[in-house]
This record gives sequence, structure tokens and C-alpha cells, in this order.
Amino acid sequence: MPKDMLSLKDFTREDLEDILQRAAYFKKNDGKIFSSLQGKNIAISFWEPSTRTRLSFELAVQKLGGRVINLNPRISSEEKGENMEDTVSTLASLGAHALIFRHSIPGYIQKISRNIGMPLISGGEGCYQHPTQALLDIFTLREKGVKLEQTMVIMVGDILHSRVARSHFFALPLYGAGLTLVAPPVLLPPELVPPGSGYSYHLEEVLPQGDVIYLLRVQKERQSKGLLSSLDEYAAVYGLNEKRLALLKKDAFLMHPGPVNVGIEISFKALKMLESFPTRKVLFQEQVQNGVYVRMAVLDTFVAGRVI
Amino acid sequence: MDLLLKGGLLYDPAAGWEGPAEILIRDGEVEAVSLSLGPVDVPSLELAGKIVFPGLIDVHVHLREPGGEAKETIASGSAAAVAGGFTAVACMANTTPPVDGKETVALIRERARRADLARVYPIGALTSGLRGEELAPLWEMAEEGARGFSDDGRPVMNSALMLRAMQYALPLNLPVISHCEDLFLAAGGVVHAGSHGHRLGLPVIPAVSESAMVARDILLQDTLGGKGKLHLAHLSCSQSVALLRWAKERGTNVTAEVTPHHLLLTEETVADFDTAAKMNPPLRGSADRKALQQALRDGIIEIVATDHAPHQPQEKGKDFLNAPFGVIGLETSFPLLWTKFIETGLLSLMELVKRMALAPARLLGVPGGTLAPGSPADLVVIDPRQEITIDPRYFYSRGRNTPFAGWRLRGVPVLTMVDGEIKMWKGKVKGFSRDFPTLEKISLLKE
Repeated sequence: MPKDMLSLKDFTREDLEDILQRAAYFKKNDGKIFSSLQGKNIAISFWEPSTRTRLSFELAVQKLGGRVINLNPRISSEEKGENMEDTVSTLASLGAHALIFRHSIPGYIQKISRNIGMPLISGGEGCYQHPTQALLDIFTLREKGVKLEQTMVIMVGDILHSRVARSHFFALPLYGAGLTLVAPPVLLPPELVPPGSGYSYHLEEVLPQGDVIYLLRVQKERQSKGLLSSLDEYAAVYGLNEKRLALLKKDAFLMHPGPVNVGIEISFKALKMLESFPTRKVLFQEQVQNGVYVRMAVLDTFVAGRVI
Repeated sequence: MDLLLKGGLLYDPAAGWEGPAEILIRDGEVEAVSLSLGPVDVPSLELAGKIVFPGLIDVHVHLREPGGEAKETIASGSAAAVAGGFTAVACMANTTPPVDGKETVALIRERARRADLARVYPIGALTSGLRGEELAPLWEMAEEGARGFSDDGRPVMNSALMLRAMQYALPLNLPVISHCEDLFLAAGGVVHAGSHGHRLGLPVIPAVSESAMVARDILLQDTLGGKGKLHLAHLSCSQSVALLRWAKERGTNVTAEVTPHHLLLTEETVADFDTAAKMNPPLRGSADRKALQQALRDGIIEIVATDHAPHQPQEKGKDFLNAPFGVIGLETSFPLLWTKFIETGLLSLMELVKRMALAPARLLGVPGGTLAPGSPADLVVIDPRQEITIDPRYFYSRGRNTPFAGWRLRGVPVLTMVDGEIKMWKGKVKGFSRDFPTLEKISLLKE
């Protein structure tokens, strides 16, 4: 097991298995009081807007009996010209035991990891990696009884700018799952497609093969940067709408890393139809819930030194 | 000081000499070259087991002075040059202020004279302030000693302006050196648009951002009626090579250079955001590297240049997106080529001397590139057996930014002579090393 969690490329299936089993334990014993982070201070510093991931990590720390130190970019020293490495190196002296970090620049977390002297956990790094998101997705699917080695995941959306996709490029193959990427060519250069995975520019052609449809968020700024002619056009060609729902396998699952742009990745009507299905196929809420247990497991593994 | 070099092997493609030779140097010039000169009245230097060839000439370096002296100075860059076996370098115009008038050209030449190590040929800007908006005074700079023109570091995006610059430079018989990059296609990228770059999630620079401009510049050159010199800087991809091959088959007057790093490394060298492997154009895929190697062997690419681009450690210590582009090369270039191309049999030493001395001299229209009698005594002696481990701490350059740290290489330059004067001897540089020996002392020392 590596000492930091920056990229899933550094992990074996056994490593992930270890973490996921812990997550299952925490979920099964929810409500119990855990103390594996008793007396530990966990610094959280997010240099990119985030509510859900940050909250999820904070809850995970608290549920393990740890204390959260918030390093808020706005009041930290970066503006005074002090560089982040210096700031971070003082964290250890101040008594922090781990740092959970999010930044918009790929490679930034890697850079500060060099001399920080405590476990560093990525909370999302530019377009590079979002390891805990991929882990919680795997956890959620397995909890639903999905046999990953017999599963085809269709991932649709802004692949080019997705750190979630890049983490899944490592996670899904470790579990033997198939992956097909779908996006307009501008957001899906062939060089980006990992070996062993497929891709298509035609959503309707691949939807019927999907056991899991994984929608990625398409950000509004892609339009302002000229990568998309309009979000409406994207929604019309690559969005999941009522008509396309009919192409889905009956038992296909729908996932999204959140927050969902209803009306872009998925139409309002399609979402309502799916949510009214007798068996719950839309896993968005489960993903969020499981995020806390998976992050507890990550903290327990990297910071507490595997107490359970 | 006059001197007889004997016992070494001479490789001089221009003179067709390949083998044992005695070289008599008098008044800074090569007076005679012969298998045996008989008794002469000058001190001699015994070079048994060593190889002698014309001093290397690097047509593409950044010496940073004026304005960037924390990164490099003309003196430190010249020291790095002679340490690496280079007797002359051509320095690019992207200084502060840029070299876009005769004053800066004169300033660089004066500083180079004071440094008194390698010959330094300023390259003037093509456009004022390197802004790509209006022509710089090319004639004025040429009169002051500029030996070529380039906005290197950035392209001239305006094709009409580029053509005008080429037309202006034509009667001067000086090369227009093009940094081929379409800025819209490059779009702020920092790594090659290959599988590795995409995996890192960084903004990418597609190969077509270079090759589209290579095509443009070749077609512009074709309008000049077979006159004028177009030189393509630091080619990095197979498409550019194919276009160059096509242009040469059709008789376009175009030359090109390749760097040691593009010949030897790929995008994988970037590994996990290693800024020592960040340069522009970026390291590309293995098929590109193979095409560049093949083009070098075929002579389609006739020049090896380093694009020596020093930066301070704290600048290169930034995150990958914000760290500056560029790697240094003067002190690693020859041993890299020797070890990876000569020792492996990919290239003959005669061919390599053409790529690193003769063709550069011809491109710039400067003396050197040969040791035929009457030529300036600009030469380098290498020890083919001496092995070194690249350690940036010992560079004469102020830059430490090399992707080759830790490489074990042979073919180390042990003596560099400019104008008949020894500037580097066994790693010591005149004016830089306290115990730099006198020529008398060197000639008395035996191995």
C-alpha cells in the first residue's frame, strides 16, 4: 500500500480490496463509535470549490473520532506570497497527522507530497485523479451485487476534463470491468482512451450494451471556451433522454459523480422516469452515502494505521 | 600560442580526413595537417587514444543575457559551451530587451568578447519585440554581426509577415530560423497530446501544431525562387519529418535541426509531472522519436542543436503547469550523441561531425566546421573511453534543468580550443577554474 493516495495507478487490487472491506465494515456498523482517529488532527485544504466531497471527508474524520483542521485558502499564506509547500510543511509541526487536499492543477498535489512528512490524500486534483470517487463507485456497484468482471460500463460526458474518468481508467480494469467512453470528439481524443477500453461518438449505438451508465458532469465553461457549440446541442446529442432510456438494458444502473446538471447530462423527464422504477436503478444518492464510509476506510488505512 | 597536436585520430568530413593526423597550429590557425609533419619548432601535445575534430557549433542556445542573468550569462553559457566541446554558439533573441536592433547585437558580441571563451553569434529577432507584428531591422542587425533571424520561443503567426521577413533576409544570405508552432492549436498546452500526456490530465500540445507550420514555412520558402535559407528549429514529430523529406525531394532550400532530448526521450519521461522533462516542443511519442532518429541518420535533418534553455531551480520547482519550458544541453549533448548514436553504430563519427560542426557552420555562414589548413584552430578533443555520470551540480551553466541527470555516458570532451587557444582542458574552463593550467604545463603533462 502506498503512503499517500494521489493516483489509483499506484494501487493493486489487493490494496483496494483492503480499503473496500473496511468501508463495508464501517457501513455495517454505522452508529457505532469508532476511535481510530482519536487524538488525530486531519487537515483539509480545498483549493477548488466543493461542498459535498469536503463534507464527506469531514464527516468521515468525525465518525472516526478525529478532529478536522480547516486550512482555508482565503485566509492562508498563499496570498502573502508564501508557497504552498512551506505552508504545508508547517502543518506537521502544528500537529496535523494527515492532509486531505484538492487543487485545480494536475500535478500540484504530487508536488507538495514530496516533503510533507505525513499521509496525503487527494480530494480531487484538476483533470488528473479523484481516487476516492472511483473507490466509492466500485463499492456502490459491488454492494448492489454487480459482478464487475461481467460488467460493461458506458461512461458518457466530458471525458477530456474528467478526473473521475481518469481514476476509473485504473480502477475498473483492476476489477475486470469493461469500459466504453462516449463523448463528442472534441472531448474524447482517441489518445486518451486507455488500452483495452472502447470508445464511440454515437451514444445510441453503445447504450444497449451498458450494464452501468456512468454520466459525467459537463461544465458550462466548456461552451465559453468554444469546445461545445452549446449545452443544448450537447444535451440533444449526448444527453440521456426518454427516447434513449428505451435503449437501456432493463437492469442497467445509472451513476453520476455529482452534482448532476439536470437538463444536460440527463433530462428531467428521464430522471423522473428512472427514479420511479420499482427497483432503484439510479445510484446517485447511494454514491453520496457510500462516500462517507469509503473515506472513513481510506483515513483508517492511511492515517490510523489500520486499527480494525 | 603555437602547438602541435599529435597521436590522435582526426575526423574532418569537409577535408575528407578520417584517421591518424598531426595538426600544426600557428597564430590561431591550422597551418598544416599531415600523417607526420616531421620535426617542428613548437610545443606538442600528445593525444594518443583521443579523437580530434572541428569544434562543435550549436545553432540554438539561450544565453539569457541581457535581462535573465539569474538563469545564465553570456560568460556562464560560454563556459558551458567550451566545457561541452562547443567552440561557437548562436544565441536566440528572446532576452530582455529582445535582440531586435543593433544595440543588443553589439552588446552580446561585446560581452562574448569579454568572456573570451566560445564564439557567440547573435540571432536577431524577426519582428520587433518578438511581437509578431512588424519587421525588425534585419539589415542593421546583420551589419552589426547577427548571423540569422528568429522569434524563437514563439512563432510568427501572421503568414504574410513571415513571408516578408523571409524576403528581407534573402539578400543577406542569412537563415530565417522558424519556431514552428500554431499557437491556436497548441492552445496553452504543456505536454504532448499522447496517451501519457492525456493520462496526466494536463493541457496538451498536438503534433499538428508544429507540422502545420512546418508545411506553411516550406510553402512560403518555395515562393522565393530557390533562394533564401529557411531553417526549421527543434523538430519534434514524424509529420514534420515527412514534410521535410517531401520538401527536400522537391528541392526546397530548407534545413532543420533536432535536439538530443527529442532524439532520445519520449513523453513517458515526463513520468509523474517531472518538470525537468518540460520543454517546447514537448517530448513526443516513440514513433516520433524513431522518425527523428531515422531523419538524422538519413541526413534529412542535418543539424543537432541543443535548444539550451537554462532556468533557475525555483522556477523549475513550480508545479508542471506553471514551471517554464526548457532544458539545458551544452554540457551533455556530445556525450549523449556519442554514447547513444556512435557507440551503437546508428551514426558514423564523420556524419555526427557534419551534424554538429560542419552543417551548423554552413548554415550560419561562419568560419569553422573544418580543420583544413587556413581554418581557425577551433577544435575539440574527446576521450572515447572516459565515462561520466551526468551531475547537474557540476555544470558551468547556471541552469540545472536537465532530464539526463544520472545518465552514464562516454565520449567526454577533454580539450576545447578556440582560435588556437585552449579554453577547456579536462573539465577545467579558462577563467572559471582556479587551477586552469598554462599551455606549457598542459604540453608537459603526460597521461
